[in-house]
Amino acid sequence: MSLSFPYRFAVVLYAEDGTSLGAVAAKRDWEPAHEWTRFYFQRRGQLALDGNGIASTVIPLWERTMGEPYCRGYRIQIAAPGGRPLASDFPTTHFRDLAAAAASQFVERKKLREGELYSYVVVAHPAPAEAASASGLTVTNASPGVPAHEASLSSFLERAKPSGVIESDDMPVFVSPQVLEEAAERTHAEEGTETGGILIGMLWRDAGAGEIFAEITAQIPAEHTSGSNVKLTFTPQTWAAADAALRLRRRGEVYMGYWHSHPVREWCKGKTCTPAAQKTCHLAKDFFSADDDAVMRAAFPRAYSIAIVANDTAFADLTFSMFGNREGITQPRGFYLLEEKTSGA
Amino acid sequence: MGKAETTLEIPLEISDVSGQKVFSVANAPTGNTVGELVHEMLGKMNLPRNDASGAPLTYQARLEREGRHLNASERIGDALERGDRLTLQPNIDAGLGY
Repeated sequence: MSLSFPYRFAVVLYAEDGTSLGAVAAKRDWEPAHEWTRFYFQRRGQLALDGNGIASTVIPLWERTMGEPYCRGYRIQIAAPGGRPLASDFPTTHFRDLAAAAASQFVERKKLREGELYSYVVVAHPAPAEAASASGLTVTNASPGVPAHEASLSSFLERAKPSGVIESDDMPVFVSPQVLEEAAERTHAEEGTETGGILIGMLWRDAGAGEIFAEITAQIPAEHTSGSNVKLTFTPQTWAAADAALRLRRRGEVYMGYWHSHPVREWCKGKTCTPAAQKTCHLAKDFFSADDDAVMRAAFPRAYSIAIVANDTAFADLTFSMFGNREGITQPRGFYLLEEKTSGA
Repeated sequence: MGKAETTLEIPLEISDVSGQKVFSVANAPTGNTVGELVHEMLGKMNLPRNDASGAPLTYQARLEREGRHLNASERIGDALERGDRLTLQPNIDAGLGY
């Protein structure tokens, strides 16, 4: 599925007194929002599960009062064969990180003081005609469709209990208890050092319910990694070993994401935080760093991919947080814990 | 299928880690290196070139037929055969970011 850009976006920054600081081209990563949009309509049966040849476009949503070129957001529009285009709209908060990066540039150029408040607006202008690609490679997207098999959502719900807040728009995710048990064992065994694994499972589709849902059936311990108290490095050998393990299982499972531990108790030692501060620290639960997100982007880019973090704190038993792509951004999300260890499809 | 010693281009299949993003390349130049191919395919496949801090990510291409990671300096014509499948596998950190 190709993504085209008839407009170029930019963020314009203003100092606290309203002075315009200048504009910076918004080179954002559109892929997560595109993936989310596509999967949203695939879940509802409005888009084929195999949609490689379908064109998508990123277009501005003009600000209602000021009009063009000011944006109130952007739209990802997918050409639906034989029907009206399918679209999802996204707010200008998706440009917040770019605005922050632009502000840093203006601080360096002494146009903005360190810590000074600023505001930003998003603008878009028609893109010039693209020059022919310098690449001589002729490339075709041959990606497999969403690998979903038929199953009953209600049969899963009947033998599962919710964990965390499950938003109605999120794809339901069912996790085998064995996955969390093994993650807990490994986290405790490596206490103080980040460890992790690769999550595998099945995607199921309940045509009657108009929903696709995921089952995390197992975790493959991440081998050939190097871990410290603040990071876990996945190497090419890690992925190769996981591939071999997945093939050996021969159960039709696919990659669903990854899990890793956050040895928060170790982070707290380094910062000599008080027990009270540890309990309210944002790192203690539902924390997913930009680095954590980068692993998702590089290895598990599909919108149905999820990540699990094992929160290992000094003040409570081990807890688990799940993260997934919601409206183009990786966010904490709830899941269902299955009561049995085997697939019930 | 034989080694493409006399052809100038060969078809290949390139996958990401998950196997859920797969691209067919009709004409990989046999005189190019694997590193050049990987560099170009990252853009075509919209895979990130940098980590969260902006540092370049390194990817290795794993040749499934031989079950080994190719050296970036290997020549396509020497290492690959028509229809070979490569998987692009990054060296990447999860963590706090420092």
